[in-house]
Order: sequence, then structure tokens, then C-alpha cells
Amino acid sequence: MRKYVVTRRLDRLFIELYRIYNFVARFFKEVFLPPYEFKEIMNQCYEVGVRSLPLIALTGFIIGIVFTNQSRPSLSEFGATSWLPALISIAIVRALAPLVTAIITAGRVGSSIGAELGSMKVTEQIDAMEVSATNPYKFLVVSRVLATTFMIPSLMMFTILVSLLGGYVNVHQNEQTSFTSYFVQVFDAITFLDIFSSLAKSFVFGFTIGMVGCYKGYHSSKGTEGVGKAANSSVVTAMFLVFIEELLALQIINAIRAM
Amino acid sequence: MVGVFVLLALIIFVAGVFILGGQQNRFESSIRVRAVFDDVEGLRTGNNVWFSGVKIGTVKRISFYGEDQVEVEMNIIEDAQRYIHKDARALLSSESLIGNRIIEITGGSPQAPPVQDGDIIQVEAGLDTDDMLATLQRNNENLVSITEDFKELSAGLTNGKGTVGALLTDSTLANNLRTMVTNLQQTSANSARASQALTQFTSKLNTPGGLANELLTDTAVFNKLQASVAQLEQATTSASAMVENLNQATGKLNDSDNAVGVLLSDPDFAKRLQSTMQNLETSTEKFDQNMEALQHNFLLRGFFKRQAQQQNTEQEQQ
Repeated sequence: MRKYVVTRRLDRLFIELYRIYNFVARFFKEVFLPPYEFKEIMNQCYEVGVRSLPLIALTGFIIGIVFTNQSRPSLSEFGATSWLPALISIAIVRALAPLVTAIITAGRVGSSIGAELGSMKVTEQIDAMEVSATNPYKFLVVSRVLATTFMIPSLMMFTILVSLLGGYVNVHQNEQTSFTSYFVQVFDAITFLDIFSSLAKSFVFGFTIGMVGCYKGYHSSKGTEGVGKAANSSVVTAMFLVFIEELLALQIINAIRAM
Repeated sequence: MVGVFVLLALIIFVAGVFILGGQQNRFESSIRVRAVFDDVEGLRTGNNVWFSGVKIGTVKRISFYGEDQVEVEMNIIEDAQRYIHKDARALLSSESLIGNRIIEITGGSPQAPPVQDGDIIQVEAGLDTDDMLATLQRNNENLVSITEDFKELSAGLTNGKGTVGALLTDSTLANNLRTMVTNLQQTSANSARASQALTQFTSKLNTPGGLANELLTDTAVFNKLQASVAQLEQATTSASAMVENLNQATGKLNDSDNAVGVLLSDPDFAKRLQSTMQNLETSTEKFDQNMEALQHNFLLRGFFKRQAQQQNTEQEQQ
């Protein structure tokens, strides 16, 4: 009979945490060590960034329109519909764009990373790579995590632009606000802190999504069932972590803002 | 593809940063101006600074000053520096009724030199929301008393109290008023007719050849009239002199130093004249008797007989 340090569950939790720590720490070690897998990184960037752009752009545009439309009644009660551009810009730049980009990417990319790495794991391709003197961690994990880390901020910039354009379409239709006036008000409401904090958040979200997807895939088991589980689990965990990070980031940014 | 994608994202980011920086005047050289307020009413770093309704800068720093005052440091773009003079004043205001707090720089005489980097400008007390609410509360109280007065007034009107109340409720008064209005209407109609007649009359006066028109327009008639008036004036003067003479004469009639005066006003003379007249009457009677006696005198009887005969002959011949 095996003996547990505390209980079976707690012991498993700590073991899992230690594995996560090792996995993340290995990333920071491997990322700076040659050889650099530029080609694979570019491939992953293409997959994560360029292939996600149509979906992200469409979602962002719709969110811009819907959010503007849903905010209008609240503001029109005060006769303050002229403040819609300011409201939209703050909401999109500070929260919606990073979150929406992260969630869409987590759904689309996180699951595919989890499934891809999971299937490679259960079919022992990763073991085969190790045998053939290729560093599977560097080739599979570092490239994917770097791709998500750098592509999600880029996607977020597109989301901001497209969402603001969506908002403009709706505002222009209802309030006949000119393009110039709309964007002057949009930029009047936001600050450098808003843009840079969103950018920083996106880097963190990208890293989280990539890391979670890779970890779940890399440590999947139980055959093909484990692949589906890894894909599902990577999306759910990534989204959950993204929201937790959003909450923490909000506290940090508010503390900076108050300084 | 990845390069283009990243490049586009970078362009969006850089453009956003530049637009934002441009809008916040981050890339323009600026000067720092300070102002010391007693109360900044929630002003925050980054709030706008306006001059004549145009944004010229932002609030850079807010810090306590002295005992309980607040020093506000503003970044003002250099382009606006020459319009803000040293005697300009800063006051706290709002972008709108519920908008952000702003600092509004006003005034400044052209004689004063432009403000320099590091200068402290004077502050002016702006409109405080609490003061506004206090005034509004006073207005409300006044409104309550006004409406109460009005309530009493309207109750009085409804009950027919006072002149206006009677006017509204008394039907006799209303009828009288109606009659009065009818009369007034008639009067005004009459007035209209009278004024029409007057118009016709005045137009006739202006008709060429008419007396009034001649009088007013013909200079010859006017000259003659002037001459006549002059003559009339002379005649009046003469008449006046005559009346004076007559007056003097009548005055003399009352005096007793002249013949007529004595004749008219002296009672002694009247008595004497009366007695003279009596004497004369007596004398005349006696003379008549003498003459009668003479006719019968023989010496003259023949003469009178002939005379009588001659008269008779003449009468017969006629």
C-alpha cells in the first residue's frame, strides 16, 4: 500500500502543480537556448494569427455593433447618446478586445493545440522525436507558446480596430456622427495606460492559452479518449485562467491608475 | 503572410499611439504653468485645460500647497503660450453639466506679457455645484410661497372676491362690460367716420383755388393781408388815440374849469342858468306883449296890414 504525504487528492494536486511549474520553467529555459525553430514558429504564427484573423475580425465587428446597440438605451435615458463613442472605446480597448480575442483564440487555437499534442502523445510521436534526437519540447511547445504569445496581441490590435469600426457603423446609422468626430471622441476617452495595459494583458493571455494547450496535450493519456479530454480541458482551463488573469490585471492597472 | 499580418498589427498599434499622443499633445513641446486653488473639486491628473473653449493642455500634477491649498501644474502647448498673458486667470469648470472637471483659463490683457514656463497664474472662483444647489433651494422656497399666493388668489377669483373675481363671476358686470365694449365699438366706428370726414375736409382745404389753400399758398394774398393787418393796426392805434382824447374830453367834462364842464357839472351854474332862463322867459313874455302893443300902434299898423295882404295874395296865386 502506497503512503501519501497528506491525502491522495492533495498529493496529486501538488504533483500536478510541480509538473506545471517544471513545464513552465522549462519553457523559459528552452526559449533562449539554441537551436531556434524559426520555421516552426512561423508556421504556428500563421496558424494562430493569420488563420484566426477572419474569425476574430468578424466577431470583433459584430461585438462593436452589438455592444453599441445595447449600450444606447442606457445612455439615451440621460440624453447622453453623444457619449457612446467614449463608452465604446473604453469598453473595447480596456476589456472587450483583449478578452474576446483571448476567448476566441482559446476556443480555436487552444483546443487544436491540445488535440494535436494529445494525439501526438498518445500515438507516441513525441517519444519518437526524443529518440530521434529532436527536442520535442522546443519544437512543439516553445514554437506554439511563442506563436500564441505574440499573435494574440497582434490579433487584439485588429479586434480593437474592427470593433471600433463596427461601433462607428452603428453610431453613424443612429446618431449620424461623422467618422472624424467619432474617432476624436474615441481617442479622447482612452489613455496610453489603456492601450499598453491591454497589450500587456494580451501577451499574458496568449502565453496562458499556448501554455495550457501544450501542457494539456503534452500530458494527455488514456489513448484517443485522452485526446478529446486534452482538447476540451485546454479550452476550459485556458478560458478560466484568462478570466482570473483579467481580474488580477484589473487590480494592478487600477493601482497604477491611482498612482 | 505572417510578416504582413504582424506589420499590419504594428501599424494599427503605432497609428493608435500617434493619434492618441497627438490628441493629448504628447508630441508637442509644452510649457508648465501653475495655479494654486483652495479647492480643486475632484480635478484629476490628465484633465483638460481650456482657453476660450479650446483644449490647450492637460493637468500634469496635483499636490498640496501651504496649509490647505492645492497646487495644480498644467502642461500647456507652446502654440497657445502667446495667447495667455501673465494676468490671465484660471478657474475650475466642467466640460458639461455632468462632465469631467477642467481648468478654464480666461481673461488676460494684451498689455501684459505672455505667460512663461513655471509661472503661477491667478485663480478665480468658479461656479460651485453646492452654491448652485443652495441657490436652487432658495428658488424652490420662493416658488412654494409664490404658488401658495397664487393658490389664494385663484381661490379668491373662483369665489368672486375682489374686482377681478367679480368680473369673472358677476353676470351683470359682464353684461355691462359687454355693453361698454359695444359702445366702445360704436365710438370707434364714429371716430373712424369722423377721421374720414376730417380727411376729406383737409383734402378740400388743400384744393387749389380754395380760400384756405390761397391763404396758405398764395404769397400775393398774404402780402395784401399783411398790408391790411398793418393798416388795421394803424387804425387801431388811431382809434386808441381817439379814445384817449375822448377820454380826456369826457374827463374834462367832469371838471368845472371849462365852459362845458361848468355847464354839465356845476350845480350853482345850473341854478343860475335856470334862473336866467326864467328871467329870459319872463322877459320874452313881456317883449311879446310889447310887440303886440306895437302892432296896434298907429305908427306901425299900416306896415303890418300890408304885410298881411301880401301874404294872402301869394297864397291865392299858389
